[in-house]
Amino acid sequence: MNVEKKQNTGAKIAIGVIIVYLLLPLAMTMIYSLFREWIDIMPTGFTLNAYTELFTDTLFWKAVGRTIVISVVPIVLCTVFVLLAMYVVVVYHPDWNKMIQILCTVPYAIQGVILPTCVLSLYSSAPEPFGNRMFMLVSTYMVVILPYVYQGIRNNLNGIGAARLIEAAQMLGASRFYAFFRVVIPNIMGGVTISVMLAMAIVFGDFVIINTLAGGHFMTAQMYLYDVMKKSGQRTCAVIVLLFLVTLIISAGAFFLQSREKDRKDR
Amino acid sequence: MRSKRKTYILALAPFLLLCFLFEIIPVIYTVVRSFIPEGGTPGFTLENYINIFTGKLYQRAIANSLLISVLSSVIGLVVAFVGAKAVHEEKGRLKTVFMSILNMVSNFSGVPLAFAYIIMFGNIGVMTMVGANYGIGFLADFPLYSVWGLLMIYVYFQIPLSTLLLIPAFDSIRKEWKEAVALLGGGPAVFWRKVGIPVLFPSILGTFSVLFANALAAYASAYALLMNNISLLPIRLSEQFVGDIIQRPEFGSAIAVVMIVFMVLAIAVQNKMMPKKGGKR
Repeated sequence: MNVEKKQNTGAKIAIGVIIVYLLLPLAMTMIYSLFREWIDIMPTGFTLNAYTELFTDTLFWKAVGRTIVISVVPIVLCTVFVLLAMYVVVVYHPDWNKMIQILCTVPYAIQGVILPTCVLSLYSSAPEPFGNRMFMLVSTYMVVILPYVYQGIRNNLNGIGAARLIEAAQMLGASRFYAFFRVVIPNIMGGVTISVMLAMAIVFGDFVIINTLAGGHFMTAQMYLYDVMKKSGQRTCAVIVLLFLVTLIISAGAFFLQSREKDRKDR
Repeated sequence: MRSKRKTYILALAPFLLLCFLFEIIPVIYTVVRSFIPEGGTPGFTLENYINIFTGKLYQRAIANSLLISVLSSVIGLVVAFVGAKAVHEEKGRLKTVFMSILNMVSNFSGVPLAFAYIIMFGNIGVMTMVGANYGIGFLADFPLYSVWGLLMIYVYFQIPLSTLLLIPAFDSIRKEWKEAVALLGGGPAVFWRKVGIPVLFPSILGTFSVLFANALAAYASAYALLMNNISLLPIRLSEQFVGDIIQRPEFGSAIAVVMIVFMVLAIAVQNKMMPKKGGKR
């Protein structure tokens, strides 16, 4: 008993220390954004100036708008592409799953800076539409999120037993196409939304791909942040706090959906 | 019926097209290009690779990248082990809070993270100023703009990732094993050394390779902190294709291939080690 109790206090302390360590940079950034000066232990001169300036800066909102567009388009397309591919796999060729899986794992090996430089190297002087930076950008994001979208879709297909569901629908007279798109997909949509939102958080936080493929020509929120960084520390912190909140809302949404999904399945 | 049999293949087309055009072909093109002499004259050469492994600047980049990736992964793993073990022993609300915080801060990386460290430890950072005002030397002279400062930033983003990956592995540790060890006269230290860590070893090694790959390819924090003034593989790679200095695509392709080789090695280890999901039961 005594040992157990001691162990428990130890665990609490360990968790506590790690929490403090992880929250410190975030907390400092937030405090920094709210004060005029911070050169001693306590910051001085509370102000919301950085935020009001930011809220009235149309450049910032345009950047946020661009980020949303550039995240939503690849995610929607990627999800549709993978769903179509999985239709063929589930209905006609279960043995092809291995190939799809490999294609969806390769992006891990070329993550970070590697894929955008390879794409740029290949297409930078290619004819339209390949030479178009937006086309490169959207396609590269689609490849980056491929593993997450695929995993989400596959797990959910397995979870509901898609193959048997289609057999059952066929027995009731539905075509395989109808069964997949009208019976299976509505049933996995909830789960797929979760992986889509995780993918959204990834694209939202991307800097390397946008910086490599678009440079300063397409200012997303991350590029705006990088630009402000050289001008005002306080304002930069305000941007960081706002962007972090947005990411938080996206992943909290995914988390919320996940627990609801779990409840539904347990019932 | 016959025509129908072929049309379903069309559903596969967009996916395959995307994978080939923006995943497979760019990689193959990069590999091929890495063996072409600089300037683009046709031919076959190993010179690009020889230049990487003999040039001081690029040797440095490889050494720094490996150092920072291995060290940040090891430190991240040690902290993650302590954290995941604590989660394993702790059941109540603290566990839920901890898990939420891990999920939350796993989004805090790249440029924002680098800037958070700049306002803490940078030239006029809060910690630096406090250190200078109160004569705390290691704070005042903290070497943020160096490999060591960068290492600290990398450790920060490795910790939530590795803890989240290790926590499920601890579920496989049975209470009965601890009791069995205790019956034979062993304390917790003996248990972890003789039973716990050996059982977890595949997960630990698997997590290590995820962390290693994650750190090796990371670009944003390093670029935000030091721009091109640090020799790291991702920085050296990107500057061959973008930016102000003379672009050397063939040489850059060779750097990319070197990085891909490291990444594939890490992923191979991970595939071998990570317990297959849903395989049991």
